[in-house]
Amino acid sequence: MTGFLTLLEKEIRRFMKVLVQTVVTPFISSFLYLLVFGVSLGASVPGKDGVSYLAFLIPGLVMMALMNNAFQNSSSSIVSSKFSGDIEDLRVVPLSENEIIWAFALGGLVRGFIVGFVTFMVGQVFHYLQVGTWLGVVHPFALLYFVVAGGLLFGLLGIFVAFWAGSFEHLSAFSSFVLLPLTYLGGVFLSIDHLSPFWQGVSKLNPLLYLINGLRYGMLGVSDVGLVESMTISFVGLVVFYLMARVSLRRGSFQRW
Amino acid sequence: MTGHPIPLQIQNLRKSYGSFQAVNDLSFVVNPGEVFGLLGPNGAGKTTTISIITTLEKRTSGEVKVFGHDVTAESRQAKCKFGVVHQEVINSGFFDLEELLQFQSGYYGIRNNTKRIHELLGRLGLFEHRHKKVKQLSGGMKRRLMIAKALVHSPRLLLLDEPTAGVDLTLRENLWTFVQELRSEGIAVLLTTHYLEEAELLCDRVGILNHGKLEACGPTSKIINQFAQKKIIVETRSAGRKEIMAKTDEVLGDILVASGIDPKDLLDVHVEEGRLEDAFRKLISAPMEAKP
Ligand SMILES: Nc1ncnc2c1ncn2[C@@H]1O[C@H](COP(=O)(O)OP(=O)(O)OP(=O)(O)O)[C@@H](O)[C@H]1O
Ligand SMILES: [Mg+2]
Repeated sequence: MTGFLTLLEKEIRRFMKVLVQTVVTPFISSFLYLLVFGVSLGASVPGKDGVSYLAFLIPGLVMMALMNNAFQNSSSSIVSSKFSGDIEDLRVVPLSENEIIWAFALGGLVRGFIVGFVTFMVGQVFHYLQVGTWLGVVHPFALLYFVVAGGLLFGLLGIFVAFWAGSFEHLSAFSSFVLLPLTYLGGVFLSIDHLSPFWQGVSKLNPLLYLINGLRYGMLGVSDVGLVESMTISFVGLVVFYLMARVSLRRGSFQRW
Repeated sequence: MTGHPIPLQIQNLRKSYGSFQAVNDLSFVVNPGEVFGLLGPNGAGKTTTISIITTLEKRTSGEVKVFGHDVTAESRQAKCKFGVVHQEVINSGFFDLEELLQFQSGYYGIRNNTKRIHELLGRLGLFEHRHKKVKQLSGGMKRRLMIAKALVHSPRLLLLDEPTAGVDLTLRENLWTFVQELRSEGIAVLLTTHYLEEAELLCDRVGILNHGKLEACGPTSKIINQFAQKKIIVETRSAGRKEIMAKTDEVLGDILVASGIDPKDLLDVHVEEGRLEDAFRKLISAPMEAKP
């Protein structure tokens, strides 16, 4: 247990050391997204079920920030350890595979949560300035569920990708060719109601759709997909990604680059 | 249950990369309070052997036990008992020395290990650098940091892969003293090195590895005896300078008598003792017996 807590502490303190990069960057990017999409374009884009477009956008951005940062935290930690060579230490010290996996996944969740929260607060300010009211949380438990599921899931995905990656390029290729499209097409900016039935069907194959809509349901009470469906798919995703992380830890390389 | 007495036991260990045999039927033990030197040319399989002990590499077959615990089947128990210093220096960038050593201790289940950490930093001459980042250290300091890191949990077996490579003479001598201190505390040390005078000085026993095979293994003096010769340079009135090669344990008088030298004829005698280096050279360069 001490070993696990130590690794978790190290993961958290690692991103705390680069807090500016961790918090300021998403602060600026969420500010820009809200300004461009929420305020400027938002006037002409319909929301969903009586919710304004700005309000619709905020939970999407929160989930996007959460997922990205959870993924970033575990994957960049592992990849930079591969680069400096201290990844070998992880194999040599008496930490079990589960301790390693959950320390990294929770580290990702914590960072994702902090950045998601910053994004939420930026969104609140925009909402207040635009609409004149603060954004409430309609279903706090659902919100919590999807925050935890999303953070862990992407922390686990980061472990999987980082252990298989053979270079920094592999990692950034995964981010830009897999993660980014899935995020953008997962209903962050638009409700799939606006798509043709064919593209709606395609969108429903994207697991990120369920996490994003789950969080949106928690915050606003609206969603493109059913709550139970979202919860189930998120949970199954969590299990699958855990198993993938586990396999990568066993089979992947601890060799330094 | 009492602790298993043998720190390291390797039996019929094999490791192949595809069709290439990096380690070939290797067997040896390291006893408590013993410094064992694993010697061999580049690519002999030393690092591979150490990597198998530390579970960084998977063995192809054979047995590796640390204090009786199989390194893969009972890896947790085995890992708690050894510390390792890798051949390559590690460069982690975020934390200072003291933080790194605290984390390392935590991985072994030890919280607030400050006393031990300060003691190690002191003994390795790093105490005043404890708030520096790794990248601010010189190469030799990094190596000492790695040694401190390997010892935070007071292991009873220490694996040192070329700890003195690229280290200056003073520091090397300090490290020798340090290893001797560890030995006197009863810690078993497995050491690889390319400096054979170092191995001769430090190692109670050595194993000489070539192409993954153990060519010879035993007490250092015995290996020297068996494979190296001493050189006796005699100067006589009648024949001038002459070199006589002899086994290291032969008595000088007997050698002179056997060579038919009359003590009255003798001007000067100079003896060059057999060196591990000679034994090493002989073992490594010996034509390999018909191998398939
Ligand atoms: N991952 C690998 N894949 C293929 N071959 C490898 C791999 N790792 C090591 N080898 C080979 O195994 C052999 C033994 O390597 P090893 O690193 O154990 O040598 P060493 O005795 O430590 O040498 P040195 O003194 O140079 O450190 C070498 O021929 C090396 O090329
Ligand atoms: Mg080596």
